[in-house]
Amino acid sequence: MANVYKQLQTSDQVRSRTLLHEAIPITGTIPSGTYNETNIKNYAAKYFQSVYDYPYLSSSANHIFDITAGFSADSPFSGTNPHDLPVTASAKKINVYNEMAQVLMGYSGSTIRKFDRDGDFSTASDKMEEAVFLCFSRLLTKDEIKKGSFTLSFVTGGTVASRAYGATVALREIGDYGAATKYKVNSPAGEYGILYTSSAAPNADSGVGLIFYQAGVCMLTASVFTASGPVEDFFDNGGLGMEFGAANQTDLGAAGGGAAFGQGTAMTASINNSFVSATIQQMADGVRNCLYNLSFNNTTEVNSTIYFCRAHSSDFNYSTNPTYLSGSKIRVKNNSTDTPVAYLTTVGLYSANNELLAVAKVSEPIKKTPNNEATLRVRLDY
Amino acid sequence: MAFLDNSGDIILDAVLTDLGRERLARGDGSFQIAKFAFGDDEVNYENYDPNDASGSAYYDLSILQAPVFEAFTDNGATMKSKLISIANPNLLYLPIIKANVLDLSAQQDTNNMYVIASSTDTEKVKTSASAGGIFVAGSNQGLIKGVSLPADANYIRADQGLDTIAIAPSVVLPNELQETQYSIEIDDRFGFIASPNSNTAANLSFVDDDFIATYIVNTTPYVTPNLLDIESQSDQVIAGPRGTILKFRIGAQMNLQQSSYYFDTFGTTATINSRTGVNVIDSVIRISGMTTGYSLDLTVRFAKV
Repeated sequence: MANVYKQLQTSDQVRSRTLLHEAIPITGTIPSGTYNETNIKNYAAKYFQSVYDYPYLSSSANHIFDITAGFSADSPFSGTNPHDLPVTASAKKINVYNEMAQVLMGYSGSTIRKFDRDGDFSTASDKMEEAVFLCFSRLLTKDEIKKGSFTLSFVTGGTVASRAYGATVALREIGDYGAATKYKVNSPAGEYGILYTSSAAPNADSGVGLIFYQAGVCMLTASVFTASGPVEDFFDNGGLGMEFGAANQTDLGAAGGGAAFGQGTAMTASINNSFVSATIQQMADGVRNCLYNLSFNNTTEVNSTIYFCRAHSSDFNYSTNPTYLSGSKIRVKNNSTDTPVAYLTTVGLYSANNELLAVAKVSEPIKKTPNNEATLRVRLDY
Repeated sequence: MAFLDNSGDIILDAVLTDLGRERLARGDGSFQIAKFAFGDDEVNYENYDPNDASGSAYYDLSILQAPVFEAFTDNGATMKSKLISIANPNLLYLPIIKANVLDLSAQQDTNNMYVIASSTDTEKVKTSASAGGIFVAGSNQGLIKGVSLPADANYIRADQGLDTIAIAPSVVLPNELQETQYSIEIDDRFGFIASPNSNTAANLSFVDDDFIATYIVNTTPYVTPNLLDIESQSDQVIAGPRGTILKFRIGAQMNLQQSSYYFDTFGTTATINSRTGVNVIDSVIRISGMTTGYSLDLTVRFAKV
């Protein structure tokens, strides 16, 4: 019986799963205002700030990540703060912290769990009460961030101008070192790794944040910015003031009662000042301006079905192409004993009702005669 | 000894057709790949030269060098011609499907089309060059009344068989080359397939996402064996062994009968049977043999005064 379709047997279909990775480098020039901050989008509610790779009013722009910050209701910044100043946007900062914590850390009974430094919820003394969050776009992270690939570096002092291309800058690097084989699975939002500074020996006390791989959220504890050493310098005094920019400095100064910023001597840890006196949007300005480099590999999980389309020697040796016949005579044969030949360029995958559901092409026509056989592996990705 | 070039990927990446995506989106299990076929849409077998003086390596050189298109995702625009499996490797002739325009009831009009009258007014007799219907009192060659579909009227006929004088018509066409079932594809917005001798519509198999309706017919009155094996028979278009005859008519969909929207959108005006200013839509129907896969495209013109 002549036939143009061939049934696929169970053994002709194989399922496979492939993880594809892409390197995602984000240089600090993008968030720090290469486009004169037209790629930075602020919102009326001032809960977060969005960073685009291009002026966001352009249709070519892609959203790359959001920045926000907050602290727990148990933080010293909540209520009476160490500097005895009215806290700007206190409720919003608590709301942000709680929203991130309930999604990423879950609950203990009906209480929202706080971010834990080492991922061990049983110890109460290592909670991270104040945090800065970088929430990456799904466009970048795809299905998840590849474990062990996340690195983030930020400058620890100086000004925007001093970070010109080629200039020597003091950096601090943070990464999920060792997470390729050692990560946590006790989050309701999937797997997460602990972030360490590059110089730290990874242990229960040295974590400075968490990276949630499937959720695509990097959480940095505020203390990484106030720890002794060069990090503090950046946020301290002139460092913070310069990086926030003149406009923001004025705003912050006003919000902080005029004495909070730019005074230099009023406070020694400017990240603290930010939590007290800055809006979330202003804090985001400071964070993105000190970002120097950020990179990770994303992961796309591709589920495929491979169909083995087998053309045996007696299969598919003739064609229904209108040019195949002249009248009824086969053009590629002079005598009946000549070998029939046909050329395939396309593989069609059909339903039982002969409905064309998928198509694959070969790069050049493939010759099919009774003297050869062909098995074409056709992959359909989902 | 040089290394083999293994840069070519032996896995082909398939893309879903628009119909495949629609089936997948349904989520009802209708996306189920059950079979495959090979196509050769880009191949022009006229470029095969079995007499090339340079030798057999050059017979198909221009075919093998022909560029191949990327995959089309329109299920109706790809896999138009397929490779076919026939057990016998010694065939020199293959059956074709040919419009029979010698049958007096199955002739095409002067533009080599079948004209489907798509309203009751269009089915009326023309009263002047610019008034009345498109029919005349005498011959109405190629005109089909698509609304009333009366018995004993014009129809479309396609004959199947080996169109060669090298084999006598009395030779029996092998079963594996004989069509017993045909699929007819038609734009479902314009027309439907109907019986050749009554106003009964054929059973619709399915309509795809591009409004192409597919009808599968395999019984009388649509498919009948061509028992006439006399070479001189006047209404035969197949010169050699004959297989089956397919007859059907096309009815006009209600949208054409009662609305001018499609005529305004897709159509133009033309003169039919000397009747001027007739609104027309030209469309193509495809007849395919389910056994040999051979297909035939026919142009039909939906007309409305």
